[in-house]
Formats: sequence, C-alpha cells, structure tokens
Amino acid sequence: MKQVLIACLLALFGLNANAQFSKASLQASGLTCALCTKAINNSLEQLAFIKSVKPDIKTSSFLIEFKEGAEIDIDALRKGVEDAGFSVAKLQLTGNFDQLAVAQDEHATINGKTFHFLSVKKQTLSGEQVLTIVDKNFIPAKEFKKYSKSSSMSCVQTGKAGDCCQKEGLSADSRIYHVTI
Amino acid sequence: MKQTVLSVLLALSVTIGYAQPKIGDMAPEIRLKNLAGKEITLSDLKGSYVLVDFWASWCAPCRKSNKQLGPIYDLYKKKGFEIYGISLDEEEAAWKKAVSADKINWVQTREAGGWYAPVALAWGIEQLPTSFLLDKTGRIISIDPSAGEVELVLRQGLK
Repeated sequence: MKQVLIACLLALFGLNANAQFSKASLQASGLTCALCTKAINNSLEQLAFIKSVKPDIKTSSFLIEFKEGAEIDIDALRKGVEDAGFSVAKLQLTGNFDQLAVAQDEHATINGKTFHFLSVKKQTLSGEQVLTIVDKNFIPAKEFKKYSKSSSMSCVQTGKAGDCCQKEGLSADSRIYHVTI
Repeated sequence: MKQTVLSVLLALSVTIGYAQPKIGDMAPEIRLKNLAGKEITLSDLKGSYVLVDFWASWCAPCRKSNKQLGPIYDLYKKKGFEIYGISLDEEEAAWKKAVSADKINWVQTREAGGWYAPVALAWGIEQLPTSFLLDKTGRIISIDPSAGEVELVLRQGLK
C-alpha cells in the first residue's frame, strides 16, 4: 500500500515537472549598441516578473533576474525588446529542474507551459540548466531556419499548437515554446 | 496598484524634474568621488573648458571614445581643459579595470544606480556615451561632440 502511495506521488511530481526559471541572458541586436541605451531597461523593467536588468560586458548581453515565484512571460520579454526598437538575437533561460524528461522533437510541460525540445538527446534534466529559445524572432532568421527544419510539426513555424498536439489535449492556439539545450 | 501609482509618480518626476540640460544652460552641479575617494566639484573647474562625459565599462562606443579623448586631453590639459568622467557602472571593479585599461588620466568618478543614479537622472541620460562640453563659465556649448569637434573648440578657444 505504502509503495503504491509513493508511486502515485512520484507520478504526480513527474507530471507536474516543476521548474522555476530564475534568470535569463538576453542579447539584443539593432543598428546601435543595445546595451548603451536606457530604452531596453525602461521597457523590460515595466514587466511585473522582472526583478533587475543589468548589462554584462563579457557576453554583450542583458542579465535579467526574475522575481521569485513570478510567472515568466517569454513573449513579453521579446515584445519589450522590440518596443525599444531592437530585436532579440539570443534568449537563454536558466531554471532549476526536477527530473524533467526531454527528447528530440518532443514536448515537455514546465510550470504549465509547453516546451518543444529541438536538437537535443534524450535525457532527464535535473538541477540548474540553461534553455535557449529557438522560436522565430528569438534568434537570427538563418538559425531559425536550421532549427525549424529539425521538426516536421507545424508548431515550429507558428509557435502555436495548431492541429499537431490534439492528443496531448492542447488547444490550437496554445503557445508552444521551442527550445534547445 | 501601489506599483502603478509609484510608476506614474516616477514617470512624472522624470518628465518634470529631469529633462536633459540644453545648449546654453548652465551645467547642473555635480559632486562625486573620484578613484581616490576624493570629492570633485564640477563648478570648481570653472576657468577651464570641461567635457562632462557619461560612460560605462560595458559600453563599447564609450570605450572607443575614451581612447580618442586621451591624446586631446594630453594636448590641452595644461592650457585649460578638463574632462569630468562619470561612470554608470554598477560594479566598482569593472569601472576601475576599464579606467586602467583605457589609460584614463582625467577626473574619473562613479555613482551607483546605473541608469537611475541620481546624477544620470539629473542630467537626463538616456544613452551612453552622452557628453556635454562646457565653456570656461560652466555653460553648455555642445552636446555629444565628436572628438574632432572638441578639439576644434579647444584649438580656437585656448590659443
């Protein structure tokens, strides 16, 4: 009986694979030096889930800290950068994972959101891991082409579930984030 | 709700209190500590042309400008030219490293707070580098002059 209970608990935890994203590294590109303008800071600091935005000279990126426990809106980050007149060239999210199974061209749920893993080996993510968003408008167009070819599912092109994931119970307009490790 | 009120207040204070000084304005006073921890007052430099230069170690164009300003400073320093550098670096170590890497030998100060450092708000700094050239009376005569423009003013004004 006890074993069944433990098995049930394990299964529950497995389903709710909890991961908390704590920070991100964001590279913005544009016609001028992105770190040198207050515009991106102004724009991102308005987002409720962002604790701080700091420049990192080594990687020419913004280091973004998220508020603990806040719901992270990845698209709002991109929009913030675009509203400031720049585009996202690279966005990497750092999270703490608890036994999250991922595999090439397969979906995984993290904090209730669906992530589609591309160019990865089958593995279980534990502890601190960095995911790179490879959706359209989160990486240069050339790179996006490369990643989008590695899946035949239509969600790669649109970022929406469409008709590819009905068996997972995802409605057509559910957002699916495409990531690699 | 509290956050909304705060951000509205902040936006108001920024628009009302902190517009960027214009050409023809007298330079707002600055009192910051230099590398050695000594307080340097901007108005004490009256009598010289002064370039008030906002920068940061992580700002690539600022670093390039530092290197262009070096020879001009060396040439005109004794004739009546000073540069009052203000770094918006959050990390003191990064600032000091950049000062030594760029061989900065002019007045070099820093205030914590990044874009929101009181001096950056008071001078309405929205991007880096931003610089203001002051005449001998402390009046702003040029904003964001190129190194060549600074030299032209000095060559004519400090004969």
